[in-house]
Amino acid sequence: MNIFLLANEAAAESPLSFKLLPAYSTIVVFLVAFGIFKFFVWPKITKALDARDEKILSEIRAAEAAQAKAKAAQSEFEKRLEEARTAADDMIRKARSEADRQADELRTRSQRELEDMRLRATQELESAKRTALAEIHAVAATLATSVAGKILKREIQPSDQKRLVDESLSEMTSR
Amino acid sequence: MQFLLASGNNPISHVIDAPVRIGGMEPYSGLTLQVVTLFVGLIVFMAVLLYASKNISTGKESLGHRRYLSRGRIAQVIEVMCLYLRDDILTPMMGKKDAHKFTPFLLTLFFLILSLNLIGMVPMQDMQLITGTWIQDAQLAVVGGTATANIAVNAVLAFFVFIVIQAHGFRELGVKGWLEHLCGGHELVAGPKALWLVVPIIFVVEVLGLIIKPAALCIRLFANMFGGHTLLATMLMFGGMTWVGTNSGLATAGVTLVSGIFAILITFMELFVALLQAFVFMFLSAVFISLMSHHEEEAEAHELEGATATAH
Repeated sequence: MNIFLLANEAAAESPLSFKLLPAYSTIVVFLVAFGIFKFFVWPKITKALDARDEKILSEIRAAEAAQAKAKAAQSEFEKRLEEARTAADDMIRKARSEADRQADELRTRSQRELEDMRLRATQELESAKRTALAEIHAVAATLATSVAGKILKREIQPSDQKRLVDESLSEMTSR
Repeated sequence: MQFLLASGNNPISHVIDAPVRIGGMEPYSGLTLQVVTLFVGLIVFMAVLLYASKNISTGKESLGHRRYLSRGRIAQVIEVMCLYLRDDILTPMMGKKDAHKFTPFLLTLFFLILSLNLIGMVPMQDMQLITGTWIQDAQLAVVGGTATANIAVNAVLAFFVFIVIQAHGFRELGVKGWLEHLCGGHELVAGPKALWLVVPIIFVVEVLGLIIKPAALCIRLFANMFGGHTLLATMLMFGGMTWVGTNSGLATAGVTLVSGIFAILITFMELFVALLQAFVFMFLSAVFISLMSHHEEEAEAHELEGATATAH
């Protein structure tokens, strides 16, 4: 019941009663709190927050600079890549034209050589033909003479032989 | 049962200030529980904020980038509050210059009131009474109660706000500007003479407003804290009242259960109110201070409007 009694005694006062001790205490408490906050708490907090802001800003600036640098490097790289690509295309084009030129040259040379070979073969054939004909003439004359001698059973004079050969040749040629 | 009876037979008795008692005696005449709580609040305020500021401040270089981070939950919570109040509330409302100037004052108000409100949520008075009663009827009551439920405490805090508002008004507007402000502003005083008839009325209203604004701060905080704790005490009283009325354990248990659940819910609401009222006190103080500022932006806007009208 002591609690009830305590409570009843306290309840006798009005909640709105203004007492000086709490008021004076509040003045002291607030001034001390304000002093502590203004001189020991807030400067530290603002300094830290400002330092953090500055750090974040500097990091952002550095990141932006790095990004700009990377972009420049990328554009430089792309430019060089384009140049390399162009150079490669030129080289390929040149190589292709060179290859075409060489192929044409080879083809021309081959054709010329073929032509030469054909010509040479024709000449050789002509020559062989002429030689063969001459040999045939000789052999034919000898054979004809021999055959004729045998047929006539008489000696044919060289003048006869020459005449017979010429006649045979002319016959052969006319044939 | 003593826990429930501790709320007393009058809920207001639980909330109202009481003298410091040791062994049923009052060794320090006039010293009350809320005054002691006030100083306890100051100690908590200092301890928490000094600890937080130390942990918010930039650390050693050896920590690398982590030195810019706040260390510990308490420091992080305080930092978030400071940043939010400074950057999202005070700077947009007062402008950068005034916000920079008044933030320490306003945040002191906020954190001090918050400390006192939250300490008031701890039922120290009841614990001491109960413990003191158990320990050879010692009737121990050294600290307890909510300091912001004391009208004198709030009145002094509001008085500081009043001083700051008027000092800022004098500095910003000058004596002439301040008097013009009390008469409705320069536009009215320098305007058509027919409007001078309303100047006395406005003067009376403004002079009353000088007092009413801080008085409203004081009474709002007092009423919220006093009312909340009274409601809580009322909830806790129901069990005791049921026991006294019915002498039935079952009925008392039922009522106690229901009222206890509601008391818990109201305690959570009180926690929110403790934060909200600290914010409201600080916020309205900032509003009243900024009302006394010479609004250069408004003046520029008026000049712009005037120039536009002339051009047309």
